[in-house]
Amino acid sequence: MIFLRRQLPIIITLITGLLFAGQYYVPHPASEQMLTSATKWMQIIGGFALILGVTSLFHQHAVKIGRQEAGWGYSLVLYVAMLGTIAVGLWANGKESVDGAMTAFGWVYNFMMVPLQGTMFAILAFFIASAAYRSFRARSREAAVLLVAAVIVMMGRVPLGEYLIPLSGDLSSWILNVLNSSVRRAILIGVSLGAIALSFKIIFGVERSYLGGGKE
Amino acid sequence: MRGPARLFSPITDHVSLITVMSFAERMLKIDRRIIFLVIGLCTLLPLLYPVGLPIKISSEVRGVYDHIESLPEGATLVLSLDFDPASKPELYPQAIALLRHAFKKNLRVIALTLWVSGTGMAEQIVTQVAKELGKETGKDYTFLGWSPGGQAVIINMGQDLYSAFPSDYSGKPTKGLPVLEGVRNLKDITYLVSLGAGRPGVEEWYVFGKDKYKFEMGGGCTGVMAPGLYPLLRSGQINGLIGGLRGAAEYESLIDQKGKAVAGMDAQSATHVAIIVLVIICNLFYFSMRQQKSVGQG
Amino acid sequence: MDATVFGAWVATGLTLLIFSFLYKDTPLFKFAEHLYVGVSIGYTIVKTYDTVIMHLIVKPIVENGEFALLIPVAIGMLMLTRYVPKAAWMSRYAFAFIVGMGSGLAIPRTISSFILKQVEDTIRPLLSMAGPDGLTFSMNLLNPASNLNAIIILLGVSSVLFYFFFSIEHSGVGKAVARTGIMFLMIAFGAAFGYTVMARMSLLIGRLTDLIEFSDASYGRPTLWLVVVTIGVLVVLSRRAQREPPQES
Repeated sequence: MIFLRRQLPIIITLITGLLFAGQYYVPHPASEQMLTSATKWMQIIGGFALILGVTSLFHQHAVKIGRQEAGWGYSLVLYVAMLGTIAVGLWANGKESVDGAMTAFGWVYNFMMVPLQGTMFAILAFFIASAAYRSFRARSREAAVLLVAAVIVMMGRVPLGEYLIPLSGDLSSWILNVLNSSVRRAILIGVSLGAIALSFKIIFGVERSYLGGGKE
Repeated sequence: MRGPARLFSPITDHVSLITVMSFAERMLKIDRRIIFLVIGLCTLLPLLYPVGLPIKISSEVRGVYDHIESLPEGATLVLSLDFDPASKPELYPQAIALLRHAFKKNLRVIALTLWVSGTGMAEQIVTQVAKELGKETGKDYTFLGWSPGGQAVIINMGQDLYSAFPSDYSGKPTKGLPVLEGVRNLKDITYLVSLGAGRPGVEEWYVFGKDKYKFEMGGGCTGVMAPGLYPLLRSGQINGLIGGLRGAAEYESLIDQKGKAVAGMDAQSATHVAIIVLVIICNLFYFSMRQQKSVGQG
Repeated sequence: MDATVFGAWVATGLTLLIFSFLYKDTPLFKFAEHLYVGVSIGYTIVKTYDTVIMHLIVKPIVENGEFALLIPVAIGMLMLTRYVPKAAWMSRYAFAFIVGMGSGLAIPRTISSFILKQVEDTIRPLLSMAGPDGLTFSMNLLNPASNLNAIIILLGVSSVLFYFFFSIEHSGVGKAVARTGIMFLMIAFGAAFGYTVMARMSLLIGRLTDLIEFSDASYGRPTLWLVVVTIGVLVVLSRRAQREPPQES
């Protein structure tokens, strides 16, 4: 049983990892066919993973409602909204519109989900302004450099800024294309090296935290 | 009079210092709702009373525009609308402007999304612009809808487009659609633009798509992501980048069809200036407080 | 009432409920927040059912007899064993397959796309060939591909990589290089902050544009009416909170 529970998953990771890393260098039709089939499988498995992700919230809120914990009414709102959306969605065959006419599912999407999600992120505008006022201070030379760069880019990327200080447009373009590019490139190279190292650790069974779930 | 004035000046200076210090401190601790109000007004007023300042076109945005402009009639453009309602204000106008341009150039458009929560919006954008320019689904364009798996979808499309999307959004089989004539996989497309708000987005389309299937590619993204994509732009891995609402406004100006992005530029200007003023004020108060402290300690 | 007009009222109301958070974290905001999560989960479930179950599994199996697709279905089902404590270990096979394949696919592609291509563009000739006369050095800062900018990019990439990767004590020349790296980093962070401000403000512009649109008479001016109602409710809630005795902590 220990082989089935512990070693076999690591062997599966090792084989699939090496197989698909090697596949990149072998453009034989059989190898390409394997890639086509496997990525199609991944699409289907990805759907199950998505369901696993969203349904983890089910249990959490069901417990809250069952025990009538503080704020259980909001969990009830969540459940009603979810079940209502599923009901209209299935009724409309999962389509937001049919032949250009909006379905009930499309209505829920356009007039509930879009404004709710959009506004949830829009309120960040106010908080970033407040944070800038409270803590964006030139406490050191480095902070001053950061502040000046931010101000130049903020000026240079809007018409009024370019109108008031014509140089700010070219300056912000240079900052983005040259100075920012060089830093982002170094970060990209560093992060990629780290990701590759992690991938090798996963393939060779050094990193196993992704296995999680269930007793040994 | 000169004597007493000199005698009292240190005291008056000290009193004024205390007043300045407490004023600065008070100003730094003002109710954040006042700042919210300032930002709200700076956004709202220019939207109600627009000025219409001219918008300068950047080489990044021109890269995408020029490439689409250079494509022959009937060339295939894949437009991946990889965003959700959270990024709608930035990427929706980009998508509208790009589609208008592509349809005016009579390109064959293959649209899709890799973001489940963006499906409804993507469908709406494609249908709306197609209707506006009299384009027919299946013949001039197709909306493939959404499919899960991100990178797996990209690779699968690169191998066999009909395997990744056996049917389009409306459920019609993709095999045999006139718009897909001659297109077996991503190797057969002319140009791809990913409008991405995160992962999967522009980077994934390059790594899992262009790297192997060698199509030409451009990108569009939110303002938050734009600085991170400049290395790809500089190395020529993408031939253009439309960044945020500003990028969308530039594209709208290029196709000479001004929309929501251009209308929002005055408000964008006002809010940027407001934040710069807030940062300057904050630093003035900060330095005045620091000066007082060092004088007090001295 | 027309569905679009009713939709405009609902969308405006929900937008204002979320904006009420700017005043205070009230039950109005909490209601909207939970509604948002519920609708989002419901939407994702419906789309996944329609796309994956119907279009990627059932249709190909029923219409084309693609029974091989039952293999990924089985792997996907294994993933759902996480909900059964006694069988949860079986989900490891599904995760082993996904993670192994994901890692395998990513390694060569990341090396090619983000390491080789980026290094290749960094190590560019520092002088250009210009016609038959020979070599030139272009100083134009506004052209990102100029020789001067190529040197600046090389300097930036090297110094930032040095700052991040060399854990030796930064002293002497090393200190100067690390300091240069920090300055480059600060400029890039400043640019990132500027762009983040730009993005956040754009989102607000988008929402306010919709609210302005919904203040039109053709919709029955929901924005104006609902702003008044929201402010009224906030005032009532605020007064009620003032009247209630503070809770002991």
